[in-house]
Amino acid sequence: MSSARRSIVNDPLDVVDQALRGLARQHRGVLEVHEDPAFVARAADPGDAEPRVALIAGGGSGHEPMHSGFVGAGMLDAAVPGLIFSSPTAAQVEAATRHVDRGRGVLHVIKNYTGDVMNFGIAAEVVADDGIEVARVIVDDDLATDGAGAGRRGTAAVIVVEKACGAAAARGASLAELVELGERIVAGARTMALAVEPLTHPGADQPSFELGPDEVELGVGIHGERGVGRVPFATAHELTGHLVDPLLRSLALERGERVIAIVNGLGATHPLELSIVFDELGARLDDAGIEIARSLVGTYVSALDMGGVSITLVRADDALLDLWDAPVRTPALRW
Amino acid sequence: MVSALDAARARAWVDGFVAAVEERHAELGELDRRIGDGDFGSNLRSAARRIVANLESAPATAGGPFAAVSDAFMATGGTSGPLLGMWFRALAKAGADRDEIPLADLARAVADGVAAIQRLGGAQVGDKTMLDAFVPAADALAGAVDSGDLAAALAAAAEAAAAGAEATAGLSARLGRSSYVGDAARGVPDPGASAVAMLFDCGARAAGAPPTRKETNA
Repeated sequence: MSSARRSIVNDPLDVVDQALRGLARQHRGVLEVHEDPAFVARAADPGDAEPRVALIAGGGSGHEPMHSGFVGAGMLDAAVPGLIFSSPTAAQVEAATRHVDRGRGVLHVIKNYTGDVMNFGIAAEVVADDGIEVARVIVDDDLATDGAGAGRRGTAAVIVVEKACGAAAARGASLAELVELGERIVAGARTMALAVEPLTHPGADQPSFELGPDEVELGVGIHGERGVGRVPFATAHELTGHLVDPLLRSLALERGERVIAIVNGLGATHPLELSIVFDELGARLDDAGIEIARSLVGTYVSALDMGGVSITLVRADDALLDLWDAPVRTPALRW
Repeated sequence: MVSALDAARARAWVDGFVAAVEERHAELGELDRRIGDGDFGSNLRSAARRIVANLESAPATAGGPFAAVSDAFMATGGTSGPLLGMWFRALAKAGADRDEIPLADLARAVADGVAAIQRLGGAQVGDKTMLDAFVPAADALAGAVDSGDLAAALAAAAEAAAAGAEATAGLSARLGRSSYVGDAARGVPDPGASAVAMLFDCGARAAGAPPTRKETNA
């Protein structure tokens, strides 16, 4: 039986709030943390007064740097963090939506989880009474949950949606155009993850699931949910194959196509390991004749301290790459 | 005969609901522990505390007390809380900027609120959720509008909600946390539906009707 990793916290019940206070301290002038109801917004910027569509994303905490780390110029206007692995409340989403609205409407980028979809939906109905137009893009890229009753879960493809829609919004795209763009990205995006170590909630005395020394959870969710099954622990070469092969089949990518590729650490996986996985991914896509046009390698969508990695492939064209390359200035992405 | 819900009765309804939550949260939480994840009682209780705080600054209209409840539930975690928040919001809108809600408007608001729960929560009658009490209550209320008697109409709604909540004991859940325990949920009434029965009982009493027969709680 594995023992829980110790975590550096004060009060386990105050983890989310204190981390938000830390974030605010770290990014003064860039981010503003609002309390009760809690949300993270861009700091007021007199140079950014144009009326445009505003973007919000949110979800349970424990996945940092997502989503608060994606708030800033060229990406989100606000992020709405719930408690660890719990949807934000409708009141939080409502407050954030009202705060960011500039009269051109607000896009809600939602990962496909029942609570998130419901609470964002409630907030959208509430603000609609005051004339704030809200539309949404639901991100459901997790291939491991293909065919599940509640639909596929949402995971790291949300980064591409937030980045591209944020860039398009900055260029003046309408709410309807952003929905169309977001849905097109989602339709061409799939993610597959695996865990080699379980996660532990801050303050908990044992991990949230058990994994034998020779076992790997394939298709694991970003809350440690069961995946498609357990496979034997193996080399990076073999493990990467378990992720990439189903992605290529599912997306039906053809030779000559281009993708944005994300190799994402799930919380406790070292950058060296992520680079090795990226190298394996690159070799496999070379063989398949698919070009990695852009990439992200790092920990962007974590599952607390889970050891493991996810690979996201997003079908890309010139228009998407142009939006991807647009300037962005957030705590987690900056170019 | 009173035929409209005025601000004083709306407030009495909400005060009664808060008192009932304080009295019965443990019992409702226990139902949830048997078939769900056990947080329903404490979520209700934390909403009740927020309601009390919100009431201090609630407008003195017929909708004011319901707005205080709605805001409190919207700030509550879980699934049932925000859905109840949307239901109370329909009542808050019906009573915004006026001193009383005529019975016909109340019935319409109750039905609108129930429709919002169906739309946002995705459940239907028979799924062992709060809707199993809400839908019959809304129907009973709508059916009693012509009587022009607020107390009798809310009493009929409370009876229907109690019967609907009791009947959930015979159901297994399709949605929500209790769907994971399957047939193990049979025999236990749904805590959400039980809370709705309690809610309408409070409404009937605030309107001057005698207490509904006490619904069984397994």
